[in-house]
Amino acid sequence: MALLEVQNLTKIYKNDEGVETPALQGVSFEIKKGEFVAIMGASGSGKSTLLHILGFLDHQTDGEYRFDGRTIDEYSETDLAHMRNEKLGFIFQAFNLLPRTSVLDNVKLPLLYSDIPEAEWNEKVVNAIESVELSHRMEHEPSQLSGGEKQRVAIARALVNNPQIIFADEPTGNLDSKSGKAILEILQKLNKQGHTVVLITHETFIGEYTKRVIRLYDGKIINS
Amino acid sequence: MKISHTVKISVIGLKAHGSRSALTILGIVIGITAIMLIMSIGSGAENLIVSQIGGMGVETIAIRPGQEPTGPSDFADTLFADSLKERDVEALKKKSNVPGIVAVAPAVVVPGSISWQGEVFRPMIMGWSAEFLGEMFDVYPAKGVFFDDIDIRQKAAVAVIGYDVDKELFGEVNAIGENIKIKNKNFRVVAVLPQKGQSAFMNIDEVVLIPPTTAQSYLLGIDHYHEIIVKAESAEVVPRTKQDIEITLRQLHNIDDPEKDDFFVVTQQGMVDQVSTIIQILALFLSSVAAVSLIVGGVGVMNIMLVSVTERTREIGLRKALGATNQDILTQFLLESILLTVIGGVIGIVLGSLLAFITSLVLSSVLDLDWAFTFPISAAILGMSVAAFAGLVFGIYPARQASKKSPIEALRYE
Repeated sequence: MALLEVQNLTKIYKNDEGVETPALQGVSFEIKKGEFVAIMGASGSGKSTLLHILGFLDHQTDGEYRFDGRTIDEYSETDLAHMRNEKLGFIFQAFNLLPRTSVLDNVKLPLLYSDIPEAEWNEKVVNAIESVELSHRMEHEPSQLSGGEKQRVAIARALVNNPQIIFADEPTGNLDSKSGKAILEILQKLNKQGHTVVLITHETFIGEYTKRVIRLYDGKIINS
Repeated sequence: MKISHTVKISVIGLKAHGSRSALTILGIVIGITAIMLIMSIGSGAENLIVSQIGGMGVETIAIRPGQEPTGPSDFADTLFADSLKERDVEALKKKSNVPGIVAVAPAVVVPGSISWQGEVFRPMIMGWSAEFLGEMFDVYPAKGVFFDDIDIRQKAAVAVIGYDVDKELFGEVNAIGENIKIKNKNFRVVAVLPQKGQSAFMNIDEVVLIPPTTAQSYLLGIDHYHEIIVKAESAEVVPRTKQDIEITLRQLHNIDDPEKDDFFVVTQQGMVDQVSTIIQILALFLSSVAAVSLIVGGVGVMNIMLVSVTERTREIGLRKALGATNQDILTQFLLESILLTVIGGVIGIVLGSLLAFITSLVLSSVLDLDWAFTFPISAAILGMSVAAFAGLVFGIYPARQASKKSPIEALRYE
């Protein structure tokens, strides 16, 4: 069964003067459990918009989005926040770590918003940090880490609640090619361990790491 | 989400901006410090004055001639009123009239100076029972003996002098038995008082006491008294005794309407109450001035929180992406603001108490006052509540701004 499924998804942005800009124009696909999918496209192709909708951060103008069999229109904003917390993991291009806050506290962040008992936090955090091989950096602050290490902290943070799907938004965009490769290998490894990973990027070589590529052009899928 | 988690998040947030947090709460710290200092010094002053008034004995009741003064100019009237005379004293001494009284001592104030062998001093000369004064202020002759009731009855020309009077006029010479001149009349010094210092209303060290009868007839040529001091059996009977005195004197003076009394009765408790009220009002007034600085401090907190919310836009976006609800973000920023002001309040209370304590040390050692440090618990509670309230009020707007941010916009924010 598909983990997520979009049907004829449309998103139109409207500015203050009423000018409409279509970002997505009837996109349909599904992603199954355990897949490693790259959504590729040039800048302006609508891939970020798509990721925001898939990640419950934004709503489509038209069409349907079903997650785990249920359409997300059924959920309130608060429900969606809880779902982001329990079911999704996010990795961003700019890492988005809290400054002046230790690696440990950064990785712990999603747990603070969860219903997971506090007694289990430490184990989860340590496990997540171990899986990105940063155990020796736990007490460090982001400013003391290299770009590749920062992104590994972000991956640990995305993993800590054991999400059903991980969304990575240009995770290698701010990294040199070597660090970028290392990050992609970690994502590959996670996928092999059973995590569903959706990666969006404009860099074509990244497609080689994934099992499947969805190409977007001007808000439409050109191959899947 | 549990509130303890929100507190954790807020503490982490504040720690990450340590020096700015410290500067933000400065206004609150100063405001609470000022309030604590004023309230503490105010209650210290109140205790001091009340204990001095109380030191004269709460059983002491004063009867003064004329109408009860309601303004400063009225005080002069009581000096010229001549309604209190010997017959009043006699009437008050009768147990059948006023059962609560144990002692009656009329007093006469004699203006002027005294001299001895060309040395002149301006003391406070009073015609008053020396024994009564001794008992009231707990002073007994350092040298010599007090004049007694017989001396008073016989209008003896004798005097008891205070410590400073003795030092100024006689220096090393033994004053006992010497004749001092008051209004060119000779008075033999029978007793010298020990050093006592300033008491509530008079400096006992600068007093010269002579028998009131002598002062009346020998010096002033009057037959009235300026004041009658009486002592009640105990503090409990004071209100009842006050009433008895009023009834007795009204009968004697043929007065039906209390509004037309030609005398008034002052109890120590009444004075204590009055002074306490005045000091409390003063401290409250000064505190409310200090409270204005709290509002300024609160606006400062709001200002910095708004800057903080803008600066942390990405952080807010991230938190929302990781599962924070709008409510979570609102609570976090509100709590940060309240924590800031409460920490400011705690520092202010500690600092204010410390300053008040130092002040009390300085006042008691340098000025030689019997000043006790008091920690005004009510002011501390008030200060904390006001600080927390300021954090709440001035934190709501920035917190709402934070919670309303769209996660996408916030994540995109550079």
